Amino acid sequence: MQLHRDRSEFEASGARLAVIGQGTPAHAAQFRDSQKLEIPLYVDEGRDTYKEAGTKIATVGELLGPAMIAKGAKASRRDGVVQGRTVGHPAQLGGVMVVRPGNEITYVHLAGDASDNPPNDEVLRAARAASRG
Amino acid sequence: MPRILGASLRRQEVRPPEDAGGLADLVVKDLDGNDVRLGSLWEDGPAVLVWLRHYG
Repeated sequence: MQLHRDRSEFEASGARLAVIGQGTPAHAAQFRDSQKLEIPLYVDEGRDTYKEAGTKIATVGELLGPAMIAKGAKASRRDGVVQGRTVGHPAQLGGVMVVRPGNEITYVHLAGDASDNPPNDEVLRAARAASRG
Repeated sequence: MPRILGASLRRQEVRPPEDAGGLADLVVKDLDGNDVRLGSLWEDGPAVLVWLRHYG
């Protein structure tokens, strides 16, 4: 997982990293242990934060289109992992937000399809900028 | 047309909020099952929030 690989850079950015998944704490703990992750994980079983963040439910084409499959295969080769068992809503997409004190959102990238993840470099730049104020 | 994987039948738009006030009071759980008010994560400094599509 790229976030795990770059966790020290996120720590150095001065921003707090928080990764939110669907399912239960037990699901997330199993994921953390199987992947040997050292990043802060939280769970939102009801997906309330997903909805409030404005993330979307994908269409079939946005989940299983050729571009998504190609990107998934590339990520599997790069990270040496394959997608685990889906927990929660299978068509729920994710996103990234940088928030400053005072509830100010300084960066947001919500996935348009299953392969749409912002580069970590871009998120790190946003995190550093938010820390500088 | 049947819904596959719970997918939406119509293409949706993402709708990020203007600010994180609505997120701040929502509660998630840590891996010990403790409630965590989301806004507590950025009370003292910026936070990078990542919503996963799936585990893996």
